[in-house]
Amino acid sequence: MSLLLQSIVLGLLLGGLYALLAAGLTLYFGVMRVVMIAHSAFLILAAYLAWYFNTETGLDPLLSLVITVPLFFLVGVGMQRLLISRLRPATLTMMSVLLTFAIALVIEGLLGYIWSGSQRRIRLPYGGSDIEILGANIAVVKLIAFGLAAASLVALFLLLTKTRFGQALRATIQHPEAAELLGINTDRVAGYGFGLGLATAAIGGTALSLDATIYPSLHWHWIGPLMAIIVVGGLGSIPGAAIAAMVLGLSQSLLQIELGTTWAQTCFYLALFLTLMVRPQGFFGGRLAQRF
Amino acid sequence: MPSASDTVTPATAATQRRSGGAAIVLKLAGVVVLAAAVLSFPSIAANPFILSVGVVIMSYAVLATGWNFMGGFTGYMSLGHAAYAGLGGYATGLLILEVDMNPWVALALGGLITAAIAVPIGIASLRVRGASFVIVSIAFVLILLLVFQSWASFTGGSNGLRVPRPWGPEVLRPEQHERFFYLFTALLAVALLVWWLIDRSRFGIGLKAIREDEDKAQALGVPTFGYKLVAFVLSAFVTALGGGLYALWFGYLDPVFQFSILGGAYMVLMSLLGGVRSLFGPLLGAVIVGYAVEFFKAEYGDSQFHLTATGLLLAVVVLFMPDGILPAAAGLVKRFRPQSSSIREVTAAELAEQRRAAQGGDQSAGGTHRRVTEGARS
Repeated sequence: MSLLLQSIVLGLLLGGLYALLAAGLTLYFGVMRVVMIAHSAFLILAAYLAWYFNTETGLDPLLSLVITVPLFFLVGVGMQRLLISRLRPATLTMMSVLLTFAIALVIEGLLGYIWSGSQRRIRLPYGGSDIEILGANIAVVKLIAFGLAAASLVALFLLLTKTRFGQALRATIQHPEAAELLGINTDRVAGYGFGLGLATAAIGGTALSLDATIYPSLHWHWIGPLMAIIVVGGLGSIPGAAIAAMVLGLSQSLLQIELGTTWAQTCFYLALFLTLMVRPQGFFGGRLAQRF
Repeated sequence: MPSASDTVTPATAATQRRSGGAAIVLKLAGVVVLAAAVLSFPSIAANPFILSVGVVIMSYAVLATGWNFMGGFTGYMSLGHAAYAGLGGYATGLLILEVDMNPWVALALGGLITAAIAVPIGIASLRVRGASFVIVSIAFVLILLLVFQSWASFTGGSNGLRVPRPWGPEVLRPEQHERFFYLFTALLAVALLVWWLIDRSRFGIGLKAIREDEDKAQALGVPTFGYKLVAFVLSAFVTALGGGLYALWFGYLDPVFQFSILGGAYMVLMSLLGGVRSLFGPLLGAVIVGYAVEFFKAEYGDSQFHLTATGLLLAVVVLFMPDGILPAAAGLVKRFRPQSSSIREVTAAELAEQRRAAQGGDQSAGGTHRRVTEGARS
């Protein structure tokens, strides 16, 4: 019973991280119709930066967010302005896949070149401590990671629903031409949307660095599940991404009891194929979602 | 309404026919020279290593051409085509090891098995377009990686799979390379021929209509789903044969390399770089990328820096020549070639006729008129 309970709690914690990252992917797709394969490469890059600052200066990973979040935001805005906006509108979505794939390769190669392919792990003073929740033993770092992800997701949600900028961004997602007519500079909004997406990768990467062993090619393990989540949730829908992330994170954690770590990952792909057969546009996506 | 085709005089038609005939002769000569160059490569190659690089490049060319059956005709870009090469390789290897089958029969059967697996995958993934299709293709290769790594009792798992060589030990390595070079070349020739035939067929026209505008193609009565599925399965079959032949040549399969997104990305990069709409585009791309990849690996093999180099190459292709080298080069040639419509080909009577039509206020006729006079001026 306690094992089951523990798996449920762990699954929800993992789902929180998935939800934050999938929300980032949804932002890129929503504002620009861009499928950002490099999202998880930036995730691992952020984790490496957190690890680097920690080993070099002893900086707590949570404090390194002060550096990585603004940095990633600016990189995102620059990437949208300098690279993505150069692609032809007619083939934007397809070519963005290849371009961001190329960026992912560049990042992976650089990580391996600078810090070698060996595995890295942050040693934190509070890294070994556990806490008991409802009879399940949960590592403190996992809770902190979840708290960070959940707080960022809430902040992102408030930003999108309560501010003028959020309104402009949602308008751009729903109807770019109409938003333009209302005086919204959709290009600028797209740039900020891209920056926000990368900022979620920075936060997610820092959360990941707290209790995971990282290595350059780790991003391939993340991109598959994340892509599956956004298709299942419906491309472009943030609530869809968040719900699919929680459900699939929980399923993965529960399947681990019976099947072990490796086979549990298949639940993402199984869900993806089943979704395509039953509802190709995803569970919260509009009809348009299967076109892009 | 006069259009360009209406104003062709018998004289211009004859010129066009003559230049068309010349173009065919030129193309045939090009193909013969290309074939001669490829076939004489093993005797020119300085040492077995260079010969083996040639074999790798030819295997890439087969895979890229296989990819182009789907990507080029329909515009559905699969980033996970390495899955079919990997399945073809493993099917061939496992049939030889487990069933003790003749290697060449195993190769053919491996291709057919992979094609059969591609049918349900195609039915599921062709329900979505664009980005979702790419995501599904990536997911498929990742799930195969998972299965082939974890199901160690059947596939050898992370230890890999040793595939016995098709010829006995008396066939030495250089001779082995030479034979496989010709085998890959033969497979490539067949694949190119089939691609060429489809390109000129009604089926091919339907596929290209899907690429340009799938909804309109469907409205015009193209059975889009069936066409896509056939192209998809054929593409998987050719790719699987390429993977199977690679397994027989290399003799060793490792899931990490067989089912990697990088492998699929190479196919896309090669096809895009050479040009997905042309017959020889993927072949040209394979020569360039294959050489570049081998060079990067030899130069930066210890670090992961070859990934960065490949990534930069892909980014440059996507940003600056998404149509590929061949169309870019063709555009360049056209600029320097003498214009086919000279001033003499538009007679005064025709000009007067066009002017009359233009004065009629018809916008499209005016457009024709302007274009003709501009052509005459240049």
